[in-house]
Amino acid sequence: MTLTIVTLAPSLLNTNGDSENARVLARRAEWAGLEASVIPVESAADLPARVDAVIVGSGNDSSLERAREVLLGVQSNLRAWATEGVPILAVGTGWELLSWGIEFVDAAPVEGLGILPGRAVPHDGRITGDLVVSHSTFGVLVGFENHAREYCGAEGSPLGRVRTGHGNGRGSGQEGVVMGAVYGTHLHGPVLAKNPTFADHLLGLMCERSAVPYRPGERTRQADGYAADARAVLLGPR
Amino acid sequence: MRYALATAVGRLVRLAARLRKAGGGSAIPGFVVNRIAPGYLKHALESFPQGLVIVSGSSGKSTTTKMLVAMLRAHGVAVFTNPSTANIRQGLTSSLLDAADWRGRVPGEIAVLEMDEGHGALIMRDIDARVVCLTNVMVDQIDRFHDSEMVTGMLRRLAARATEAVVINADDASLARLATDVTVAIDRYGASAAVFAASPRGLGYEQTVTTRMTTTEGIVVASTQGTVAELLDDGTLRSITLPAEGAHYAIDAAAAYATARRLLGNRFEPTTSTEALSAMPPVFGRGERVFVRGQEVDLVLVQNPASFQLNVDSVAGARDILCAMGSDVRDPSYLWPVDLSGLGRVSIVSGSKSAEAALMLAYSGVVVDRVEPDLAHALEEFLAPATPGEVVAEQVVADTTAAGDVAVTTVGHTIVSTAAAVCPAAATGAVKTIIFTADAMRRTRAHLGLTEAE
Repeated sequence: MTLTIVTLAPSLLNTNGDSENARVLARRAEWAGLEASVIPVESAADLPARVDAVIVGSGNDSSLERAREVLLGVQSNLRAWATEGVPILAVGTGWELLSWGIEFVDAAPVEGLGILPGRAVPHDGRITGDLVVSHSTFGVLVGFENHAREYCGAEGSPLGRVRTGHGNGRGSGQEGVVMGAVYGTHLHGPVLAKNPTFADHLLGLMCERSAVPYRPGERTRQADGYAADARAVLLGPR
Repeated sequence: MRYALATAVGRLVRLAARLRKAGGGSAIPGFVVNRIAPGYLKHALESFPQGLVIVSGSSGKSTTTKMLVAMLRAHGVAVFTNPSTANIRQGLTSSLLDAADWRGRVPGEIAVLEMDEGHGALIMRDIDARVVCLTNVMVDQIDRFHDSEMVTGMLRRLAARATEAVVINADDASLARLATDVTVAIDRYGASAAVFAASPRGLGYEQTVTTRMTTTEGIVVASTQGTVAELLDDGTLRSITLPAEGAHYAIDAAAAYATARRLLGNRFEPTTSTEALSAMPPVFGRGERVFVRGQEVDLVLVQNPASFQLNVDSVAGARDILCAMGSDVRDPSYLWPVDLSGLGRVSIVSGSKSAEAALMLAYSGVVVDRVEPDLAHALEEFLAPATPGEVVAEQVVADTTAAGDVAVTTVGHTIVSTAAAVCPAAATGAVKTIIFTADAMRRTRAHLGLTEAE
């Protein structure tokens, strides 16, 4: 049995390497002795028969409409996956497109797919910098944020509390949104590589649904050692 | 005479900076002169009788600038140009002061400047250029610009300073959008459909135009074969030799050729130009080969994902590699889409961002032998000659399985003579390779006593 991870519209939504989180899940599965494959999905025709996890990355606003078209093509699948508990990680504009919608100062709002609660709202100036978030079970999540909008409506089910950085903003002190196994976050790039507890939670869910055991492998420990060193640069010594 | 005092002060500051630290403080004179004589830069840049030429864009601007300068000089034109490391305001002013006479006047008929895509718009805010040549917009230092659209916006402002023409890459959709605002002449260059099709990973532009330009619209790269390329200029094929393999070099050459043709007008000689292009010294990848500590070492600079990918593809195979990532990479996320698996194995990962680099390599399936954050230590160890009789390394045999994972077995390896060397790469005579980011490059050069590359 092969674990299949799909990335949605990676040609448009991989500006910060967010789609590479699919590779992180696949490698960790392989290091645990499991088989895994990553399938890039640019249209509904690319969808494999079985999907074990979904990654939606972040892109530029100039390609927002095109990315939305791709996601609309798999909207019913996304709803079914969310309901069935297939882990979905959506980052930046990918997350915004899965929300109720995106608002602009000088343009009509863009309607989202309605998979995640809340909406993206304009912010004066781009928000960039290190983002550190406390999560109730994953511990401390670290990464980098780079977004043009804030997010409201996630107050009921945020991913975590902001320790350093901006996150959802608007005075919430919160970052991200969670709905079942669907995660939206501003933590861009290889967030799962930098936060092994988050990665293993998603892998645990995938394996549980497929009734295969998950035990991190030897090379997982080596990679997590590098992750710990990278985190220490940001958080101070372990 | 207006700038004689400022020039004298700048000279004294440079002298003081060099007395304090050999080879150091190159930007400081520029900083001081910009403070005491804020009009100097504009004055100096606008005083060249044949005007000022700006080359900017995400990637290829150094190569394009060097090619353009070589072509102009071959036509007998006296050119002032800046080293690629001095492409922001202070460094630019310093390099002008280096060449200036006591009154602050810089000799030369024309100035050809490589300009940083981020600082260019600000430096050129009140300065006019005769021609602006734009190479491309790539996902480049996202952590510095945050958004490639910002780069397009800055290049748009730079293009607006052109009084005669803007030379643009016809395949780059970001530049094509920017061109709609240009009110002066537009000269184009680009790749043919065949050249484009032969680049399986694309040409690396953030956005690419879907159709290729026709041969009547400008200078077309008709073909590339190894280091030989053909430029199609107004129906005539012109063969050139590139400084290294790669379609991007041919496109840089087309950019420089189109710009030279615009600048020289009737004086432009195609044969003189192609000969000057072909006579440029060869380079390795986007890097150079140096002789240091009694051995040849390849230095490869990582500037953006596209050039990183090209370098990885050209380095791939049996090589002894040191990979150093410095603090100039605030957040390496944007480099993650690069497929690093071709490196196979890296001996040492170093630099202040070594853990981030090791993480990226590990998830690409690359075997990392050692992480040594201290770059000086890493360099000493990497460049140390193998000693006979000493067990100097554990040879790692990596074998790629069907799943794409790498199975690793470790074998103790004894060196019997210096000829049988540390790693498989050295045993086959391959040179050691250092892949570094800009900050790690500066530190490496300083540590090894190498002068800055022009």
